[in-house]
Amino acid sequence: MGKTEPVVIADAGPVIHLDELGCIELLADFGTVIIPETVWQEVERHRPMALKSANDWLVRQSPKQHSVVVSALTPLYSLHAGEQEALHLCSEFGNCLLLTDDTAARLAAKSLGIAAHGTLGLLIRAIRRQCLSKAEVLALLHAIPNQTTLHVRPTLLREVILEVEKHAE
Amino acid sequence: MTTLQTQIPDQLLQQAQYLVQQGWVANIDELIAESMRRYLESHREAMTEQFIREDVEWGLHGQD
Repeated sequence: MGKTEPVVIADAGPVIHLDELGCIELLADFGTVIIPETVWQEVERHRPMALKSANDWLVRQSPKQHSVVVSALTPLYSLHAGEQEALHLCSEFGNCLLLTDDTAARLAAKSLGIAAHGTLGLLIRAIRRQCLSKAEVLALLHAIPNQTTLHVRPTLLREVILEVEKHAE
Repeated sequence: MTTLQTQIPDQLLQQAQYLVQQGWVANIDELIAESMRRYLESHREAMTEQFIREDVEWGLHGQD
């Protein structure tokens, strides 16, 4: 399984939701995933075991400097501390992939030209990266409403499942 | 703060200036920021769904 290149920075959502589904190891496919300090603390509060199971591929890090642009966008998008730190780190590193399920953080990332994806994308990506079979991913998608705190409109989730079902493995 | 350069219809600007003159907002900058805030709030659900659709596309066909 090859490793991908952009610096990957995670907000709390995908870490928590993947752990809720029992597949946080999917993040290891990126090689290293940076977790901002505030996000780390948030995940520890909600899913204390999530970060314990992941060892060397999760890196706890605070931004060295704060981006003026991220600070300017913060009140506009009502960004929380963890999301702000994640975006500051993205600005610091340059070529980044931000993992977040938060709409405001994704909007801010978009306006900064930062690629961002969430839990559903990570699950489906696992098929393409051959980390999980299509059947395994479909089972995880079906489990989202009962097994996770990720809220997806039921009809939209059904659309997503249908899209994955019709896709050749 | 970030400075944005944008073009808006004259009539829209006049309406905005009228609101400022009437004291509804302190200045045009504040009005634009408030308008954006309200737009983002009212369209958040649609944007969330759009992002999920983008996730599916990335998951199935992305390069990274």
